[in-house]
Amino acid sequence: MLKINQGDPIIEMQNVGIRYGQGPEILSDIKLSLKKGSFHFLTGKSGAGKTSLLSMMYLAQKPSRGIVSVFGKNVNFTNRDSLAMLRRRIGVVFQDFRLLDHLSAFDNVALPLRVCGMEEQEVKKRVVELLSWVELSKHMQATPATLSGGEKQRIAIARAVINRPDILLADEPTGNVDNDIAPKLMKLFVELNKLGTTVVIATHSEKLISDFAYPRLHLQNHGLRIYNANDLTGMGGGSHA
Amino acid sequence: MLKQAPIFIARKQELPLDSDSSSPFLKVMISIAVFLFAVTLAGVMSINAMLINWNESILGSLTVQIMPVNNIDKAKATAQTLAHQEKAIEALKTIEAVEKVSPLEDKQLQALIRPWLGDGVKLENLPIPRLIDVKLKKGATLDFAQTAEKLAEATPYASLDNHKLWLSKLISFADGLKMLALAALVLVILITSGAIFYTTQTSLGLHCYIIEILHQMGAKDAYIAQQYAKRTAWLGLVGGCIGVLLAVPTIFLISGLASQIEGGIISEARLSAFSWLIILSLPLFSGLISMLTAYYTVKNTLQKMM
Repeated sequence: MLKINQGDPIIEMQNVGIRYGQGPEILSDIKLSLKKGSFHFLTGKSGAGKTSLLSMMYLAQKPSRGIVSVFGKNVNFTNRDSLAMLRRRIGVVFQDFRLLDHLSAFDNVALPLRVCGMEEQEVKKRVVELLSWVELSKHMQATPATLSGGEKQRIAIARAVINRPDILLADEPTGNVDNDIAPKLMKLFVELNKLGTTVVIATHSEKLISDFAYPRLHLQNHGLRIYNANDLTGMGGGSHA
Repeated sequence: MLKQAPIFIARKQELPLDSDSSSPFLKVMISIAVFLFAVTLAGVMSINAMLINWNESILGSLTVQIMPVNNIDKAKATAQTLAHQEKAIEALKTIEAVEKVSPLEDKQLQALIRPWLGDGVKLENLPIPRLIDVKLKKGATLDFAQTAEKLAEATPYASLDNHKLWLSKLISFADGLKMLALAALVLVILITSGAIFYTTQTSLGLHCYIIEILHQMGAKDAYIAQQYAKRTAWLGLVGGCIGVLLAVPTIFLISGLASQIEGGIISEARLSAFSWLIILSLPLFSGLISMLTAYYTVKNTLQKMM
């Protein structure tokens, strides 16, 4: 596995554009370099392309043009098995949770470990520990359909971090939870970041962002502007964080 | 704080393939395919056994006919016919490829005509030919035209009854039948594989949401393909067992009907213990084919995804 040191670029994008079918480009000329251990908010109006940008970061989509490198590997020239290995180092919290309805909370959280071929004993140990940490020990055998939005969100987060990923990408992670849970979740992300995980959180909640002094990746007019933590001054499309 | 892990947590398959509506269809399809395959294969192996027997027993021999001499004096006619038979025997014995020359006794001739004329028939009263059975040396080739010429020189009453002539036609027919049956076997495999291919693709379409999530969790294509392969192998095995269970009595039934045919040709078509072993191992074969088809279908289909 390619070793990335603190401060090394973990995701890089050069002149990246993305379009769906024959439609116009959703994102144009995106230049970006996220360093290991960094924490960013990804902002922009609905339809600005936050999910599209995130999906390129978590390797669900290739760019229509330009270069996307994750952990130093150009995704355009990476074979499928290597892409799978890269994805194992990326934790994703989806806006709609994307839990498997026929599986229990335990099995959902265990998913990233099992696809890696981890021993079942170790899987049990880790999942039980993490479900306890997100205060869902009592719901281990519950299926997602029987859980509340907040509980589902915590399971989705537990699944995203169970593999101790290098990057955590979260798409509107507080969008479906109660107001009292949102700060707890943010605290969790901050703690993970302190442990060395690179975090990118896509959100349109100004209230959430204002409580934290992290740089902001802002999508506007198909381009990306990066505001740094202190002055939040626009640096123009294509600047590096 | 680490809590005690539950004693037993049953692991569920990530892909709920058991609930696929195509699974029962595939099981029935494989059962029918294996049934047809087993019966056809039994036919192929029987024809093969017949061909081997024919080649071994009949191709190594030929029959010479001595036409009866016409004479009002029956005793004289028989004596003359037997004299011509002797000349033919002498001529045959000079041929290198010939191992044994055995004229058929009266008793043997009577046995041959018994089904038509019954017991107590006096051969000298009937204008029937005498027969000489000629056994050839193993692996020897005989020039039939030359032999016929030699016999004609020895006696004009002798004629060669060439088994090879009619048997070669029978062998060609049996060979054709065998090739047809083999083509049918290939067709059965192709149709079954095609059915597995399309049901697997349909299932992939149904479960694309789960597959996307599994990919996102870092699952390789092989991980997903293995789940399909495991499930389809099981369907192939169960379907195969049902097919063989239905095929075995059918084979016995056909075999029983064939053994009722007079003439002994079909009765050579018995299945050996090895043939039965092959038929009984067909469920394993169908499981393997199903598994490989599903595995490579999934792998190839997923290649088109990011």
